[in-house]
Amino acid sequence: MNEVYLAGRGLASALGPDIGSGLVALGRGGGPPRRFELAGGMAWPLYTIADDEPDWMTRARRIIERVARESGALGGSRSGPLFVASSSLDIGSRENSGDFERDYQSFAELVAGWLDWHGPVFTVSTACTSSLNALLSARTLIRNGHADHALVLGVELRNRVSIAGFGGMQLLSADRALPFGKHRDGLVLGEAVAALHVSSRPSRWRIAGGANVVEGEDPAGTVPEAVVAMCSEALASSALAPRDIALIKPQAAGGPVNDATEARALRQVFDPLPPLVSLKAAIGHTLGAAGAAEVALLTACLEGGVWPRVDYAQDALLEAPLADRAPANAGHVLACILGFGGGHAAVVLEDRGR
Amino acid sequence: MSDWITTAHVTVDPLPLDWRDQLAVRLGQRPRRIGPWAELALYGARLCLDAAGESALPAQAQLRVASLSGPRNATRQIVEQAQTGLPMPFSFMQSQPSQMLAALSRHLGWQGDARFIVSRDQQAVLDLALQECSAAGVLIGWVEEDRRTEWWRMVLRGP
Repeated sequence: MNEVYLAGRGLASALGPDIGSGLVALGRGGGPPRRFELAGGMAWPLYTIADDEPDWMTRARRIIERVARESGALGGSRSGPLFVASSSLDIGSRENSGDFERDYQSFAELVAGWLDWHGPVFTVSTACTSSLNALLSARTLIRNGHADHALVLGVELRNRVSIAGFGGMQLLSADRALPFGKHRDGLVLGEAVAALHVSSRPSRWRIAGGANVVEGEDPAGTVPEAVVAMCSEALASSALAPRDIALIKPQAAGGPVNDATEARALRQVFDPLPPLVSLKAAIGHTLGAAGAAEVALLTACLEGGVWPRVDYAQDALLEAPLADRAPANAGHVLACILGFGGGHAAVVLEDRGR
Repeated sequence: MSDWITTAHVTVDPLPLDWRDQLAVRLGQRPRRIGPWAELALYGARLCLDAAGESALPAQAQLRVASLSGPRNATRQIVEQAQTGLPMPFSFMQSQPSQMLAALSRHLGWQGDARFIVSRDQQAVLDLALQECSAAGVLIGWVEEDRRTEWWRMVLRGP
């Protein structure tokens, strides 16, 4: 079995077009979401990537190429597997063109063409857990010697369907996301394109393990038993015990019920809870890109000594406070994404460069 | 590949006119709140498990679903609804492949690693699934809306 490492990363989000600018913006506290207008005069907050190109495809291509380049993946052979992970894919383009004849793989193949990528191309669409599941698949192929590198792209770009859909389900906040906050009242969605270039070549971050657990009991909510199973399986696959985890990045999307359910389930597994961190108050919930986006940003934060501010009242009843600074020793990090459709996914990252 | 055996392979193409009735009889109820594409996935998955002689998918087995069509009709509908206002919640849910996975989990009484993953190369999807699963194997299906559903149940060959 080969070990699998994070060779490089790229991220465009509301914080900036790349990791470096994103860290600077995060250090300054980030910025507020913009208003995204829907039909009928409705509008919801959305954390957007600053790029006003009106043509969806032109904008997507520019952002994706830049982020993939930032990850370093385009500097090599481009022959490993490419995973395009998204909950909305190119629906933003189809909304305008009305073209529903292109199939579910066509966007990923288009992206591969933009990147001049020659390896096998996969589309992963498991809602919010999409890019973590793609990362788990990439890890498997490298671990088993079927590839020596892979590129995971999490892509979630502006479209009416995602915002109107979550709005219609009454899952959105009208104001801002307050992960684990006392006054949390829903999600705020965000745009992101994230690239994780993974490789068998040793580097600072080892992808030690992970798990994906789907529980259909509540197709729109978090199921505590599934959170516990996800944590247990992720730890087992990493040959770790709960006490070995020094930092958890929970889903913490700001939903009144789901945040409480998640916090309660995490406390079942981890006693005491290690420090917690959330990035969604800065970039929003970036749906299928969230796993890759938050892994990219979190690892950069830990390397760069930048930490997201928690400038709102936390919910003491959750007994799961977000840390106001990075832990001194974040040797193993558990990064979780809980998703629409009963998905519960996590990866364990080992920091070898401390 | 040689370590894996196929315990059941079911192809339904073309679909019989009464396939939804057949599914309702098999489940003892009509599945509620899921779209036709998810229902077709459930129909094929249930047939395949029955053909394998399994009443339920074992806990450690994995579930993989692929499709080039995806929930195309629901997607078209949700786009149209979003152009004029807030879409209906069930329409939105039916346009999400993840909701199909949730429906399979619920109706198969199973909790585990389920994913919707697509490639143009059918063999690549199968090879990846087999790389990822344990000895309990995988239930994997291709589901093309309004057209066909094809499923395999594969387990690791015994000693």
